[in-house]
Amino acid sequence: MSNEIDFDELLSKYKSDPFDYVDVFAIHTGRVLFKVVEGQEVTVAAGEWLQIPGTTLYEIDRERNMKTITAQTNGIVAQINTALDGQFVEAGEKLMTIKHPLKKKEIIENILKEVLSLFHAPESAKYFFAMDVQSRIDKKGAKAVTIDPGDEILTMSLMKRDTPIYYKGERGVIHSVYFKPGVSVEQGAPLIGVCAPEKLPLIQKIITRVKADWDSEH
Amino acid sequence: MAARVDAAAIVRYGSIVGSVIECHTSLPRAMEHARRNIAASAGSNRAFSSGTVVLADTMSQCRGRFTRSWHAPPGGVWGCMVYANTLLPRSRNFIPLAAGIACCETVREFGGTASTIRWVNDVLCGGKKLGGFLVEGYVEPVHGEEFALIGFGINVNNTSFPDELADTAVSLKQVLGREVDLAAFTTVFLARLAWNFGILCYEEGRELSGEPLSGRNGRHLLLEQWLNLSDTVGRRIVYGFDVMTAPQYQAEVMGLDATGGLILALDDGFVKTELSGEIRYLG
Repeated sequence: MSNEIDFDELLSKYKSDPFDYVDVFAIHTGRVLFKVVEGQEVTVAAGEWLQIPGTTLYEIDRERNMKTITAQTNGIVAQINTALDGQFVEAGEKLMTIKHPLKKKEIIENILKEVLSLFHAPESAKYFFAMDVQSRIDKKGAKAVTIDPGDEILTMSLMKRDTPIYYKGERGVIHSVYFKPGVSVEQGAPLIGVCAPEKLPLIQKIITRVKADWDSEH
Repeated sequence: MAARVDAAAIVRYGSIVGSVIECHTSLPRAMEHARRNIAASAGSNRAFSSGTVVLADTMSQCRGRFTRSWHAPPGGVWGCMVYANTLLPRSRNFIPLAAGIACCETVREFGGTASTIRWVNDVLCGGKKLGGFLVEGYVEPVHGEEFALIGFGINVNNTSFPDELADTAVSLKQVLGREVDLAAFTTVFLARLAWNFGILCYEEGRELSGEPLSGRNGRHLLLEQWLNLSDTVGRRIVYGFDVMTAPQYQAEVMGLDATGGLILALDDGFVKTELSGEIRYLG
């Protein structure tokens, strides 16, 4: 984590363009059929159990196995590679870009993700804190819990198989928690953001600056 | 169509299961005992034997998932198997299935022909739980080698349960109306477990060499056997990560995906796949 953060540059970047640009790729090889057009608003799955599907972005057909791919991000279709409509594409080919308007909270999270040490999910699974860590969090709150390399911090639960996860990173406090117990996390997604104790004031400064400089909720 | 399997190869792969068997009169908890032994072996620079089975006639601090109690008096098969984690992540998903299948097959072989598997690996008879399994990872502290500890609890000849389990648990003796030979039951269970772990390695080998898996339509052989033994597909269920204390939603089970995930249709038609958590049948 660096101490050298140019807040003005970071904030002006987000002020001038308060959006995330999320690229959408072909999930596997197959023939794609676009179901959205440029400028169209798209929404993610909704409902108590996310049972209301998000906007269908495209269909992909491989050997008569048709899949419907829905939006994972709210926003507007900013760009779409229309030349690929109806064509056979390779896995990972970029199909379109969604322009997602950032809220203040998301901007803070984005900046924090640049300055915190992130600990990522080793496998797609459900995660919960190890009992010892959870009891410390319950007593003092996550930001008062310091973890060291080698500490058993999480349990990964997959198909009734519970695996301890050991922390590999710099010593620090658990500043941000990006998962909810019992909710699946994709492999590689951040689970926690860790900050060295002496750098906590720097993190607080970031949050204060964004809150002060960012009036609207966008 | 299913592929012909090389049974000799499967037996070879699985033969380490039970290569060491520890029998105890009583233990607090087999998994903790195994952890201590693994750590002690690592501390003295000795490799711990993968496939080691720890058995105890009774266990005093037995537990199921979360903080649930599991009663382990004399008459049951209580213990754990230690497996050095040499499997790829995809195959590790099937470890819990391998244990449940071994138990269900054994119960059927000893006369409990109505036994079935409820996702993930609960073995039921007449809607009551006869066998339960818990898989926990353990990384030994000296060299960082990872082990899977497969805990098992099977109600065989024990017939008394504490009040909180009386309505939901059953033993094979209660189902059959007679005792079974516990040593013979345990032997068959471990043999089935060895076969199933052999399948795990065998199927992994086929996949790595680009061959189709051995079940029908290229399905994993353990998944196929699970489907043969389970009554979960087609049932109406309630799902939850901890379904007893925090049920999340009701759904109908559509099937299993290739990784063992449960495909569920919610009441509004939305279909989702759960890779973790547990279910209870409704009706």
